[in-house]
Amino acid sequence: MTRTHPLLAAWAWLVYAFLYLPILVLIVFSFNESRFGAEWTGFTTKWYGVLLDRADVRAALGHTLQVALLSTLVSTVLGTLTGLGLWRYTSRARAALSTLLVLPIVIPDVVMGVMLLMFYAAVRAGLERAGWTFDNGFWTVLLAHVTFQISYVALTVRSRLSGYGPELEEAARDLGASAWQSFWRVVLPLAWPGVLAGALLAFTLSLDDFVVTYFTSGSGFQTLPVLIYTNVKRGVTPDINALSTLLILVTVVAVLVANALLRPRRKG
Amino acid sequence: MKTASPVPTGDGRTLRVFIWSEYMDPDIVKAFEGQTGARVILDTFESNEAMLAKLQGGGATYDLVVPSSYVVQTMVRAGLLQPLDRARLPNLKNVAPEFLNPPYDPGNRYSVPYQYAATGLAYNKSRYTPQRGWAEIFGPEDRRSFVLLDDPREVIGAALKYLGHSANTADVAQLRAARDLLRRTVAKKGFQGFDGGPGTRNKLLARQIDLGQIYVGDLLIATEENPQVQVVLPREGTTISMDTLVVLKRSPNPALAHRFINTLLDDEVGARLSNYTYYATPNAAARPLLDDFLKAVPALNPPADWLKNGKLNFIDELPDRRAQRLYDRIWTELKSR
Repeated sequence: MTRTHPLLAAWAWLVYAFLYLPILVLIVFSFNESRFGAEWTGFTTKWYGVLLDRADVRAALGHTLQVALLSTLVSTVLGTLTGLGLWRYTSRARAALSTLLVLPIVIPDVVMGVMLLMFYAAVRAGLERAGWTFDNGFWTVLLAHVTFQISYVALTVRSRLSGYGPELEEAARDLGASAWQSFWRVVLPLAWPGVLAGALLAFTLSLDDFVVTYFTSGSGFQTLPVLIYTNVKRGVTPDINALSTLLILVTVVAVLVANALLRPRRKG
Repeated sequence: MKTASPVPTGDGRTLRVFIWSEYMDPDIVKAFEGQTGARVILDTFESNEAMLAKLQGGGATYDLVVPSSYVVQTMVRAGLLQPLDRARLPNLKNVAPEFLNPPYDPGNRYSVPYQYAATGLAYNKSRYTPQRGWAEIFGPEDRRSFVLLDDPREVIGAALKYLGHSANTADVAQLRAARDLLRRTVAKKGFQGFDGGPGTRNKLLARQIDLGQIYVGDLLIATEENPQVQVVLPREGTTISMDTLVVLKRSPNPALAHRFINTLLDDEVGARLSNYTYYATPNAAARPLLDDFLKAVPALNPPADWLKNGKLNFIDELPDRRAQRLYDRIWTELKSR
């Protein structure tokens, strides 16, 4: 084993401090008595109580989890299939599809949000002419999240498989497996870590998204990031610090669980 | 069933309000729901621009929106608003005369004043007390540490007030003078950058700066907890930002929206609102009912004659694109220095 140079180690610690100190400060101040974050005036857990009393927070939490769970499920299935297709087939269409998949990742969130907003408005105008009405809300946000999540899942699945050739599937077929069996017993197990990683990525992206959600949600449907962001106008109240602390906790647990699932199992 | 009208019809029981955060006392909403049997949905936005983008894109159905005064004209021109029905707003009589018939909405055809704040100078008594208003920041001395609001109209407006001009001027010579003044100001050693209300408030509480330009309400909310932080109105005059109540053209429940506006214009409700937000009320009948703490703050209610003699300016929409470009250019230069 090579030993790490002490300067390098110190640098690493500095980077970690830079990344994690703000989070630590936030957590500490969620226990601060003062309504204003500037001074420490005493320890309290009252802000967690205030938080639980807020009906808008409870509703937003429900909306956030509904959208995150369902959109992750849908985008994982669709994204995995897309990723497999990209890996398996070689054609000119593939290059075009790859470019198309990268687009939602590189397009700025604001552009994506406004684009979807206008798209929904056009659809709505059309439907209204036919006598139907709908309001932006759960379904429009869900669809918006799925559109950007698919790309992330597809790309993680494809890069997971990029080291393997299509011969693997052919070999399985030669040994007598049906198309279905070779998919379930050969291809999917190989792709599985990529699928899980993509799903986790999709889930956290949905949980965090503010811009696209703001533009695609209708009245009465706010998610936690939208609630938090629009609440900082007159200053972050400590109950929002408490809420952020809880969100961080959830994210950390999700990452730990995913790490445990993704750990390579060694045989023998 | 086909409907010819593109306006969705409401159920008469749900009121959808689009408003700034911490700007509506939940108890008022609860009482209104109890009286009417209606359900009130409050959604929040964080800037006039984001609110406009969402409404213009047709993104959501709201009845009542709370834009700042200078956005009202834009919303009228975009065809987003419906004229108010005065017959349904008898409590309009409670509004102080100086806030009726404002330059941003002559005759109050589309808007009713909601809450307002003048822009003041905030300080921490334990560190420093300003004597001379804007001169403390824009004067030739460079002894005080200060921050300016992160808002082009407020910063350029303050410089214009110090020079004795209107904060809405389109006069090139006056704007050039304001630009030169601001160039010198941001070059001072004491200049600590641009910040929003909460950031400035926290820096004052932490005694990191001597002075900060701030909306009076954003500072007052902290004064009760820490009486050391105070705010004054600069003697040279200042700007005022008024938030308003407007009803959207596509409102599914305009009758309910009018009823809510009328409730908010009630004297007791108006006082309760200001006691909650720490912003000033344009409701003259509500003023005697304010908390003693708010009544004791002179900066909350600027002298009535300040509006008439031009010491106090609403931030208006600029008269033309050329003026808009001048303001933009000054701001870009200040921020990219």
